[in-house]
Amino acid sequence: MTTENNSSLRDLTRIATFTALIAVLGLPGAIPLFGNAVPITLQTLGVMLAGAVLGWWRGAASVLALLLLVAAGLPLLSGGRGGIGVFFGPSVGYLIGFVFGAAVTGLIVHAGATKPTWLRVALGSFVGGVLTVYLFGIPLQSVVTGIPLLGTAYASLIFLPGDLVKVALSTALVLAVWRAYPKAFSFPRAPRIPAVAASQ
Amino acid sequence: MQALGLYRPGSSILHRAPAGGKLIGLFVLALAASVLPASLVLLGSLSVIVVVLYLVAGLGFRELAGQVLMIRWLILLLTITGLLFLPLEDALANITRMVLVIVLAGLVTLTTRTSDLLNAFEVALSPLRLVRVNPERVSLVLALSIRTVPVIAGFAQQLRDAQRSRGGRLSIRAFVVPLLVLSLRHSDDLADALVARGAD
Repeated sequence: MTTENNSSLRDLTRIATFTALIAVLGLPGAIPLFGNAVPITLQTLGVMLAGAVLGWWRGAASVLALLLLVAAGLPLLSGGRGGIGVFFGPSVGYLIGFVFGAAVTGLIVHAGATKPTWLRVALGSFVGGVLTVYLFGIPLQSVVTGIPLLGTAYASLIFLPGDLVKVALSTALVLAVWRAYPKAFSFPRAPRIPAVAASQ
Repeated sequence: MQALGLYRPGSSILHRAPAGGKLIGLFVLALAASVLPASLVLLGSLSVIVVVLYLVAGLGFRELAGQVLMIRWLILLLTITGLLFLPLEDALANITRMVLVIVLAGLVTLTTRTSDLLNAFEVALSPLRLVRVNPERVSLVLALSIRTVPVIAGFAQQLRDAQRSRGGRLSIRAFVVPLLVLSLRHSDDLADALVARGAD
């Protein structure tokens, strides 16, 4: 019972830590592309990492917590944006997509696995962190702005190169973190201390 | 927490109104703005409502102009793509409608303390009990995240300084991997500390 409670507290602090991490990754240089509403930052990288490291529900929860804090008026989105106003603007779909994107990334990386492989992380980051985010982002942007779907989709292509770079980064980073601190990953039944497990 | 937020202190009737009421009012007005067909009368009266509310809140035209200025890139993008894909009148109506709603939402953020909004969310989230999610745990995660943002921002600063002092160029990988490991260690320490203090 105690261990169960411990692990759930550990889950909560990890969720909170990733919420803060995604916020901090949005801090450094938001680069507003000329004339584009949604600036490029490492924030989407944080979404991919949250799913890949924490798994689907913790990853989604940490993004959801970030959105709640933003709605409550904290300027934690890339470029110091925040306040409930962002949920009435054209990027609302991307924000919702972040939640599902983290979940999809987590599912692809974790489902039935005992450790992250580069293929799963790359695939998860792309399908979750890029496709899923666009799947929610583009239609809602089209609804909010009244600009036809196809036009909105074309305009979003401008972010694709940056997103592909983030998929590559996410893959390299997740594998590096796995080597440096495997304890961080919430893989089911993964031997926490391989040496001890082997000696028994 | 207040220093981090976007709240502007004040004592107007809008500042004193309950957070939940303001949120409901915002949703009703936003819904009206987006569902009703755009007409000069609708957009005109909405503009008047927005200006009057800003004046009532004691924020004045300066703050109103600041809010509009904050979304200048968005307005520029929408103008360009809107003129490309839509008739002039529709494009202008869409932009006006969206700016009004975002500025109105900004008013809620400006006049409501983050802590009040978070409390309102906790009430709104109480139906989550039905799916066995404890709203108090959600609040705990949110509070932990708020505390963790400056800690992780501190880690990021240290790492950047360390990299600079070694004279290396700032690579994302050499920055994010240690940032993740430091943050996740911090998260586990935090969980241990919570357990040691009998949380949960």
